[in-house]
Amino acid sequence: MKKKEIFITSAFTQNSVWRQILGICSALAVTNLMLNSLVMGLGVIFTLALSSFTISIIRDLIPKRIRMMVQTLIIASYVIIVDLFLKAYYPEISKSLGPYVGLIITNCIIMGRAEAFAGKNAPIDSMIDGIGAGVGYTIVLLIIAFVRELFGFGSVFGIPLLGDWWTKWSIMVMAPSAFFMLAILIWIINTPKLKRG
Amino acid sequence: MVSKKKLFRETRIYPVIFMLIITIIFIGILATFYQLSIDKVTLYNQTQLKRMVLRVFEFPTENIENDFTKYITIQEIESLLYYEAKVDSVLLGFCFPISGSGLWGTIQALLSVTPDFEKIINIEIVNQNETPGLGGRITENWFKDQFKGKILIDNNIVRSFVLIPENETSGDIEINQITGATASSKAVVDMIYKNVKKYSPKLRAEL
Repeated sequence: MKKKEIFITSAFTQNSVWRQILGICSALAVTNLMLNSLVMGLGVIFTLALSSFTISIIRDLIPKRIRMMVQTLIIASYVIIVDLFLKAYYPEISKSLGPYVGLIITNCIIMGRAEAFAGKNAPIDSMIDGIGAGVGYTIVLLIIAFVRELFGFGSVFGIPLLGDWWTKWSIMVMAPSAFFMLAILIWIINTPKLKRG
Repeated sequence: MVSKKKLFRETRIYPVIFMLIITIIFIGILATFYQLSIDKVTLYNQTQLKRMVLRVFEFPTENIENDFTKYITIQEIESLLYYEAKVDSVLLGFCFPISGSGLWGTIQALLSVTPDFEKIINIEIVNQNETPGLGGRITENWFKDQFKGKILIDNNIVRSFVLIPENETSGDIEINQITGATASSKAVVDMIYKNVKKYSPKLRAEL
């Protein structure tokens, strides 16, 4: 497969969120603000790219029986690096993301890509696949966050767009709205595909 | 050589050794990153605390390090840390850390009071995990400003504030609560009451 093809496949045609319904816990948790979603997305892209790359390099050395332990160890290490980096250089964002950065470790997309792709393919291809999956995930996060922040806070990226006349929808700030938004998004994207059969 | 290597990889000990080595490598990498970032993190936390202490006494926060050493002294009684603010050797008030449980986690705040402990000067929320947009609004100025100048201790009795709906006009002992975040509003009021009740006798005895 060509590099571009790998990227398109993992970011769009086989998008982790709307095609595979993976990684939705964090998609629900951090999407009430655009900025948080973007940082979360970047953290996931970084972790996915490097963990896929690393796992792919040592894929022939990893004993099959303990491969999940090894994957978790590698993923966790990169996530901790992201966490430390945010704490040191972007403490405000780190504070507002709270425990969710650490929880990237449990994001099923990362282990999913490690199992499905990185364990069988060359390092560079795996890295591209990882970036693709991360970009796909970030796009979903940003779409949901855009709607939630606009209706819930009347702003986008913290810039107020809707004036004082706007009555903020409290439901959009809370977790349930993310369920609705995610479901609607998956519905919109998958309907044409299902109709074609 | 090849067959020998293959044999070793099929032994039971191989996964153990592999895991051990890879763990050591990654822990080494993480320890390095941790060491590189720890100074920055501690420095940030210290500055943040100093900024909060200055803010709670309503000092400007443009020149944190200078102003902090100029106006604030850190005191301690019975393992309780508190801060004393003086301007030209006139005692402005005390500030001490308070905490209580909110809806999702512990809320930490700094409360500053007048030297006679009778009035609140200000309150600053240091740490909270309340719902953004709802309970998270306890950090907003309109909510915090309500506590300014409120009488805290009247005739040696600690006052407990009464919560009223958001848009009503509030009296001496009333605080407008945040609509949709009764629990978080109540948590702030409760933690002021509990902490003042706990610490005011000690601190007042010291004066």
